[in-house]
Amino acid sequence: MFIAGIYLDGKTSKRHIARLEVNDDHKITHIHLTEQQQVLSFEQQHYTIESRLGNTPREILFEDAQLFVCDNHDEIDQLITWQENSSPNNITWLYRLENNIKLICLSTIVTAILLYGMITYGIPSAAKMMTHNVPYISSAQFVSSLDVLDKTVFEESKLPEQRQQEIRDLAAPYFSNYKSLKPTLVFRSGMKANALALPNGIIVFTDDFVNLAETNDELIAVLFHELGHLTHKHMTQRVIQDAMLTIMVVFITGDVETFDLVTALPTLLLDLTYSRKFETEADNYALALLNEHNIPLQSFVDVMTRLENYYLTGIEGNTNSAMNDFLSTHPKTADRIKLVEQFNTKN
Amino acid sequence: MIETSAISPADNSNQPTPASKSLGFEFRGDGMEYFKIWIVNILLTIVTLGIYSAWAKVRNNRYFYSNLYVDNDNFRYLADPITILKGRLIALTALIAYYVASIFLPIVAIVLAIALFFAVPYFINQSVAFTNRMSSYKNIQFRFKGSYGQAFMVVYIWPILGMLTLGILYPLALLKANEYFVRNSAYGTSHFDFNATYKDYGMIFLTVLGIAIVVGAPIAILTYFVPAISVISPLVFIVMYFALIVYVIVSFTNLFYASLSLVEHKFEANLTVPAQAKVILINLLLTIVTFGLYLPAAKVRMTKYICSCLTLHASGSLDNFSAAEKESISALGEEFGQVFDFA
Repeated sequence: MFIAGIYLDGKTSKRHIARLEVNDDHKITHIHLTEQQQVLSFEQQHYTIESRLGNTPREILFEDAQLFVCDNHDEIDQLITWQENSSPNNITWLYRLENNIKLICLSTIVTAILLYGMITYGIPSAAKMMTHNVPYISSAQFVSSLDVLDKTVFEESKLPEQRQQEIRDLAAPYFSNYKSLKPTLVFRSGMKANALALPNGIIVFTDDFVNLAETNDELIAVLFHELGHLTHKHMTQRVIQDAMLTIMVVFITGDVETFDLVTALPTLLLDLTYSRKFETEADNYALALLNEHNIPLQSFVDVMTRLENYYLTGIEGNTNSAMNDFLSTHPKTADRIKLVEQFNTKN
Repeated sequence: MIETSAISPADNSNQPTPASKSLGFEFRGDGMEYFKIWIVNILLTIVTLGIYSAWAKVRNNRYFYSNLYVDNDNFRYLADPITILKGRLIALTALIAYYVASIFLPIVAIVLAIALFFAVPYFINQSVAFTNRMSSYKNIQFRFKGSYGQAFMVVYIWPILGMLTLGILYPLALLKANEYFVRNSAYGTSHFDFNATYKDYGMIFLTVLGIAIVVGAPIAILTYFVPAISVISPLVFIVMYFALIVYVIVSFTNLFYASLSLVEHKFEANLTVPAQAKVILINLLLTIVTFGLYLPAAKVRMTKYICSCLTLHASGSLDNFSAAEKESISALGEEFGQVFDFA
């Protein structure tokens, strides 16, 4: 059998029109250089045939970087099946997978389902497992995060020391159940009404928030919410989840340089989805705890409504709430209140 | 000269020798075909928990290199997936080691960060050398041999000077970087050369600045005095911003190829702003509409367009390049180049 193609000797860039000779024992014996009327012997030579990939030319590599290139896919595939110690299915299964329309459709669906599964279950549960089984990371990694916030956004609290101590005393009995998390309550200003939990157990109440809350129960409700974040180690989990998500997106998009927007947008949206899930988890935790301590759940509803009103007055004309919901780190207040109703009916 | 039997009549028309002929670059890939390869890659990468990603990278690159033709010969990507896998595993180990060190011994982490800072130029050299060595055309490999000192200048010193002079020296930083990477690259034993001037780069920056001022300022002023315009002015700014980005991509690409040469052979690129903008917009739209499934076809479309604008002005025959000596660079350096590629 003769296969027509191009021969390149690997020493110069000169291409030679050539024919590859395969004898009746299915062995490559010679390459005939048509123009030079020269015959090169390839008996006993070791060679590798590159796997088939789309419509790209077929390549056979010989010793000393010699190369034979051709477009005769059928003959080369035949040659592969003749090659010693290779079962025919073994070599070409990738190409077959890539060219079977049914399998491609199936692959697309399976890939989509796997990706969905990874994003909604795989990554969160893997991150959860990591956060809860490597306790040292979660507490030590972010030790300095309050320092960083102090240097950037926070200012000294302007609340009277007496009021601060009052709230600390209020929180103390609840904190005693969380010795392992070492929760401490601190007060800062410089941010709008907000409360946040840092991974090393520090819960920050801003002055605006303390002033916004009208009853102690409302403060406790938010305190429980933050304790929920701490118990579930949400901050650490989020950092790990984001890292995993980024690696996944990089794997999928490969090196598509011009598409920063296309890769960055889904990452951001998914991160926000994760964030909202954490908030709901913390809300549930807070409700359970309020219930346990016989504090009316209404205080949770009240403080959430107050926070919403506080933020809405800042924004002129609440535009496109569906879009805001999609782009928000926190669930909609209405949904959070609905959560309370659900919780009530359950108990 | 050896006459090729099939096309000798056509060749005779180009009588004056050494025949200078213009050879177009051509990308023969197909969006649908690449989609299939891409989706199988993703599936197998997920199923093997990322291990297949090394094979996926090789298959992706092979598809794009092998479909790129000049003078009826295609490029080839030669990397071995096992090498890439090793590199990725080392990268991952290094990353975890760094993470653990930063928790238990913050001092070590700082030392490592400083070490990394000084290692970056070395990694860049290794990485470029690896990519070049793994690329071949007409069965001759490309090469890269950089020096640490020059790489350090290009990576840190020139960009910092550019910033310190409020951008005045920034075009020079870009020029120096291109000069460094091109002049240290070779095709076999033949070296590439790069001949652009500070003025060439400066003009692009000035044009961008000029358009931004001439178009942007009047709109800003008009919006200030006629608030009604504020409805459309953000839109105008977005369009201008996009157009300027495309202009920068197009001009840098064209300038790069116009300045590039390989011995007596010259290159040319003729990208245009409207055509490039059209490709980007169509790609963006279809990728969003298909939830990312169009991504592989978008990459093919982009590559096709850019290749269709590239020309090699060959002066004489392309048959006389010879392969460089076999290099025995340690596998470790190669893998660290890969580590950098990954990290």
